[in-house]
Amino acid sequence: MLELRIARRFLWRSKVQSILIILGIAVGIAVQVFVGSLITSLQDSLVKDTVGSSPQVALEPPATETAFSFTTEDRESVGADPRITAIAPVQSFSALVSADGKSVPVIVKGAALADLDSIYKISARLVDGNVSLTGSRVVAGKDLVEQNGLSLGDQVRLVLADGTGVEALLEGVFDLGAQAANEQFVFSGSELAGAALNRPADQVSAVELQIDDVFASPQVAADLATAFPGLTISEWQTKNADLLTALQSQSTSSYMIQVFVIIAVMLGIASTLAISAVQKTRQIGILKALGMSDTRTGLVFLYQAGILGVIGTALGIAASLGLIAVFSLVAKSGGSGLFPIEPKLGFILVSAGIGIAIALISAVIPYRRTARLDPIQVIQSG
Amino acid sequence: MAETIALSNVTKEYGTAVKTKALRGVSFRVEGKEFLSIIGQSGSGKSTLLNMLGLLDRPTEGKVSLLGTDIGALGKKDRAAFRNRHLGFVFQFHHLLPEFSVRENLLIPTWIGSRAGSIRESAQTRRRAEEILSFLGVGEVADKSAEQLSGGQKQRVAIGRALMNSPDIILADEPTGNLDSENSALVYELFRRIHRESGTTFVIVTHDRAIAQQADRIIEIRDGVVSQDVRNDYLTGASA
Repeated sequence: MLELRIARRFLWRSKVQSILIILGIAVGIAVQVFVGSLITSLQDSLVKDTVGSSPQVALEPPATETAFSFTTEDRESVGADPRITAIAPVQSFSALVSADGKSVPVIVKGAALADLDSIYKISARLVDGNVSLTGSRVVAGKDLVEQNGLSLGDQVRLVLADGTGVEALLEGVFDLGAQAANEQFVFSGSELAGAALNRPADQVSAVELQIDDVFASPQVAADLATAFPGLTISEWQTKNADLLTALQSQSTSSYMIQVFVIIAVMLGIASTLAISAVQKTRQIGILKALGMSDTRTGLVFLYQAGILGVIGTALGIAASLGLIAVFSLVAKSGGSGLFPIEPKLGFILVSAGIGIAIALISAVIPYRRTARLDPIQVIQSG
Repeated sequence: MAETIALSNVTKEYGTAVKTKALRGVSFRVEGKEFLSIIGQSGSGKSTLLNMLGLLDRPTEGKVSLLGTDIGALGKKDRAAFRNRHLGFVFQFHHLLPEFSVRENLLIPTWIGSRAGSIRESAQTRRRAEEILSFLGVGEVADKSAEQLSGGQKQRVAIGRALMNSPDIILADEPTGNLDSENSALVYELFRRIHRESGTTFVIVTHDRAIAQQADRIIEIRDGVVSQDVRNDYLTGASA
């Protein structure tokens, strides 16, 4: 195609200019992809650390009740929703632990170990001892243990508000990654919790759930409220408004950075192509005099922009992936405080599309200038 | 048979508030294949006239017909296509594209005229390009960049480019203006040979009366009007 060949020759003729603008696009796209991936991964990491190891939706009794019936059929009904990935019916209560001469308030959650693991990943987060939760065995957070001089094998008494209590054996210590949880949480089996609360097996304090898309929690909660009209349904977003605001602010700042980078790249390409259009005025005028239409001469600059956009974007994406790989390598080596960045194919493809699109949009000015060019001016000026 | 060129009362005005008339009711006809010069002083309107003939400008009033086609009725795209198919241009400045080789410069009008702007020319087209390059004495520099040629060589390549699509009319605007006397003579000799061998109509605009007198017919423009239209033997008083 003639227009493409002319575009290539024009770019080749001004090699340094072409290389500089390609580098400009590449840097812009690299920053766009890197910053976008960084912020997305940071948010994923934050969400994973904060709500990834805790229930995102919970079925709770009405305000006037302390427990409700949750049957096997109910569990099957909840489990049929493909959005729900973990279900843990728990018995929970507040208690005091006598240790080191003082009483320390704790929250005891009792459930089957497999269910607790599906939400809190206790087994994976155990830092000392074992976890079986059989009989009177319990595990406690590391801050609770350290601050109160507890040791593995200690026999502790959990005293409830009504003065009753149960004996528990500390078999393990976990670290949930959050100080508040590590100071307060004690996990037990269903047997110990049921005994403390004196409840039948099908009566639970709450049913804690995890879902595949944590940001879909309001919709999941609404659907559960319809399915279980007598219960109170809570979800993490209403309880963590500040975190949500922070995440949204982070997203907004990321978009702002990306938009400004894109504008900078677009202005760079547009100005370079405009200069190119001025530099090539004579050639364009002659091509018109020889019978090339306005549209076709304009296409020359569109192709130039396309070539610059494709090469610049490809280099930019390659550079950003390299940068992400180095960043993730440092993160995985540990101790740096960094977290691995996981670039998403969809985001990269969108960035590539944006890179090429802004290059093409940048060709509008030279395209219009070329269309207006009168070949007579060129011929007479020499 | 339709006239090759027919101008009827062509007027061209420039400006909006203050209007300047570059051409004032110019009329003449060219029938068959002629070799004519348009002569005039700087600012006389001769280049404006050539721009009209080259479909690069439109008259304010009057009618321009080329090869029986009323040019005024053509849209911008059709005018461009007409230029490519029927006209060849030789300018004072060679206006070769430095991004392309000599051979490619010759082929550009063919590429422009091909369907969808294809750059795959036929063997016949390639052969024609070689013949023209050889005819013009620049065959040995066909693969060089146009920038590497001498002034005379560049103008010969520009003539070759004008010939490439076998145009019906070649319009030349001061074609020897930048050449020395030796190259000027060579260019005129080439024009003459091409006219003789292909029968192409030549319209050569010049301010140089000596050059103009080498044409078969001379049209003199003065202050935007045709002041003389004579055959080369006008000295004997034979008017066109």
